[in-house]
Amino acid sequence: MLNLMRLEFQKHKLATLIKGSVIAYLVILAFITLITIEAKSRGEFAFKDYNELFIIINTIVRGTFIVYAATLIAKFVIEEFKNKTITVLFMYPISRKKIIMAKLTIITIFTFININLANLFLSGIIVMLSNVYDLIPGTLTALSIFDNSIKILMHSFAATGMSLIPLFFGMRKFSVPTTIISSLIIVLIVCSNNGDASLNNIIFIPITLGIIGVYIAYLAIRKIDKVDLI
Amino acid sequence: MTYLLKTTDLTKVFNGIEVVSRVNMHIRKGEIYGFLGPNGAGKTTIMKMITNLVKPTSGEIEIFDSGLTSESYEVLKRMGTIIEYPIFYEKLTARENLQIHCEYMGYYNKQAIDQALNLVNLKNIDNKPVKEFSLGMKQRLGIARAITTKPELLILDEPINGLDPIGIRELRDLFQMLCKDYGITILISSHILGEIEQMADTIGVINNGKLIEEVAMDQVRDNNTEYIEVVVDNGSKAAFILQDKLQISNFKLIDANKIRIYDASMTQAEISKMLVIHDIAIEAISKKQSSLEEYFLKLINGGGIHA
Repeated sequence: MLNLMRLEFQKHKLATLIKGSVIAYLVILAFITLITIEAKSRGEFAFKDYNELFIIINTIVRGTFIVYAATLIAKFVIEEFKNKTITVLFMYPISRKKIIMAKLTIITIFTFININLANLFLSGIIVMLSNVYDLIPGTLTALSIFDNSIKILMHSFAATGMSLIPLFFGMRKFSVPTTIISSLIIVLIVCSNNGDASLNNIIFIPITLGIIGVYIAYLAIRKIDKVDLI
Repeated sequence: MTYLLKTTDLTKVFNGIEVVSRVNMHIRKGEIYGFLGPNGAGKTTIMKMITNLVKPTSGEIEIFDSGLTSESYEVLKRMGTIIEYPIFYEKLTARENLQIHCEYMGYYNKQAIDQALNLVNLKNIDNKPVKEFSLGMKQRLGIARAITTKPELLILDEPINGLDPIGIRELRDLFQMLCKDYGITILISSHILGEIEQMADTIGVINNGKLIEEVAMDQVRDNNTEYIEVVVDNGSKAAFILQDKLQISNFKLIDANKIRIYDASMTQAEISKMLVIHDIAIEAISKKQSSLEEYFLKLINGGGIHA
């Protein structure tokens, strides 16, 4: 399995994937710093407290990496079917299930790590900047850090699960655009933030979507042995 | 007789249409089996069923002495294949593609890649991604990939598409060499008869999903010897003379004026002399080779295209 994952990286260049996520980190960082600094210049605060800052960062990060996961699904799975390179893969003396599983494992691990790492990195930098330039009102307590860490971790599990939902739509016609668009719709559903109200706050919704995503991945793998590759 | 590959009533139905129906084919170990049929006859589908890409609707495939199931992965190690169009990871170079191939196949002989590239005569390809290759080069690379791991069975679906005449010849020699020197059994498909007839030991003719005939090439050659064709003014009279005066029985009246004489003991001169003596005007006389092409066209056309 590890070997299969290594081979996937050989084909799809791990470095490009990492480059992509680093760019995403930097863009989000620039965006958050810009709005805080802009508010500060008007003598206001962009966020009412650290809690809100963490929620916003988490929301943006999750949205970004759900879409990023969709591009990975497109690259690792959908395009292989579309370009028929999958027929080459499926003629190897390796179980089809393992091949697909290796691909999906890469995508989920990559997404999960990215969401958590991005939250840590971005929150860390903004908190540091805030300490120096006083960008966010209120104080940061250990309890709030702990509280938010748990929340971020929980949400990252759910987000990783739901990032697999586009697989279902993409596999219907092996279409890359469909894959990406379905991920955007998911992001619209769970990451739109209207003041305090967000569908994501009803914990039931992200968890259900997460489970649906995992189930879709399971479906994709379950019957793969019986599928005809025309 | 033991076979390396045998199918029993192999059938595949796509959307209610039988694209392969009740095919029983037999490939002996160490032979080149030519798979001949027009486009859309079902050649590729059968090959895909053998390589487990497509699952049969009914019937069985027996390969290397064991039945093929949808979980048979180990047998794939013993095959090398090109199906339909040579497919690669286009952004990678030829060598990278072959390296990945070897890893997936679990084959770790460092020299194998160079050997294979040499055998198919692919040169000056370093640092060039496969997407810049011509179709001919891709075909060669596809063949290289198929033979890198020294398989026991080579499955080649239209491998000479897109090659120039010199290339075709090179590859034909290569296939024959692989078969003779390495003992590799080859299943090769084509719609170009000329190619198949020059290298195959056995030919399977397929049309509309049915295997019309499976025949050894030697037998085909024996059945299709040369003949003399005469066009005369009175066919039935000429036929009488042939039979009566020349004691030839192995001939055929094609139409009112045309006769084909299969008896090899008679020369053209003898026949024309005898006919002229008996007052039969000869419009034309010529020696012909009933080409295999005719034979197979007959088979395929008789197979139900003209419904």
